[in-house]
Amino acid sequence: MFVLFCPHCGEKREEEEFGYGGEAFIPRPATPEALDDEAWGDYLFMRKNPKGWHWEMWSHNTGCRKFFVVKRNTATNAIAGSWTLAEGRKAYDAEGGST
Amino acid sequence: MSEPTMRSPLHSFGLSEQAKPIDGSCGVWANELRHLGYISLRGNGADPAFATAASTAIGVSLPLRPCTFASSNGKTILWLSPDEWMIVCPRAQLSALLGSLRQALTDVRSQVVDNSGGYTQVIIEGRNALDVLQHVSVYDFASMEPGRVVGTTFGKSSVYAFRQGNGYRLVLRRSFADYIWRYLVRAAIPYGLGIADLAGSPLPEEGVPI
Repeated sequence: MFVLFCPHCGEKREEEEFGYGGEAFIPRPATPEALDDEAWGDYLFMRKNPKGWHWEMWSHNTGCRKFFVVKRNTATNAIAGSWTLAEGRKAYDAEGGST
Repeated sequence: MSEPTMRSPLHSFGLSEQAKPIDGSCGVWANELRHLGYISLRGNGADPAFATAASTAIGVSLPLRPCTFASSNGKTILWLSPDEWMIVCPRAQLSALLGSLRQALTDVRSQVVDNSGGYTQVIIEGRNALDVLQHVSVYDFASMEPGRVVGTTFGKSSVYAFRQGNGYRLVLRRSFADYIWRYLVRAAIPYGLGIADLAGSPLPEEGVPI
C-alpha cells in the first residue's frame, strides 16, 4: 500500500481510492490501417513492464474520477511525482520519453 | 399505471419510527436525510462566464478550490472534480433551480442533470462519529478541515463526505444505500447507534407523488 498525490484534488490519498490505468503515453499509430498484424499487436498488447522507473496512469476512482500520471519505481514503489496528463506529458518528454 | 411516488432507498429500515432526540445514551447518532434534490453540474470552472452564470442562478458562489463546498439558504454546492459540482437542495426548490440553471447556462458550454433519484444523504453525529468513519474508510477524517468535501471509500463502495455542524454528512448512491447503511450499523456496534430525530429539518413524506 502506498499514498498517491492526486493533482486534481490537490491531496495525498490512500492507494485504495485509486485504480491502476496502465502504461502512460503509448503513442497511437498515425496510420493504423497501414500497419501489419505484428505492429498492430505490439501497439495493442505489448507493454514495457520494466523493473525500475515506470510512467503510468492512475484514476482517482472514488474522488474526482480523473486520470493522471505517476512516475513510480516498480521495484521499490518509490514515487517520483504525479502530474495531470498535460503536465506529465511535458515531464515525460523532458526525460526523453523513456522509462 | 399508477403515479410514481418517492420512496427512500432506506425505507425498509423504518428509520423515522425509531428516531429519538439526540442525548448521551449512544456514541453515534445517524439518520437519513431523505428526498433532497441533487443536481449534477458540469462545465469549465476557469471560464468566468460559466462560473458567474452558475453562481448567480444558484445564489451560492461556485466553489472553485479543489475539495471544498459552499452552503447558503439551504443549498450546498459540492466540488466533485475540476469540471463537476453537485448541488444539493431541498426537494421543493429542485424544479425552480433546474429551470434557472438551464436558462442561465443556455449559451455556455455546460451540462445540468437532475440526479435526485440517484443519491441520498446520511447524517452522522455523536462523540464516536469520527471513530466509526475511521473504521469504514481509508480517509483520515481526523485531519479533515471544515469546508472540505472528499470523495473516498466506504467499505467496498464510495461516498462524498463533508463536515456539517457537529457531525458529518455522507452523500451516497441510491444503489449502494442498503450496503452502506448496514456497514455503518455494524461499525457502530461498539459505541451504540441511535437513530437521530431530524425534527429540525422537515423532509418530504414517503410515498408522495414525485
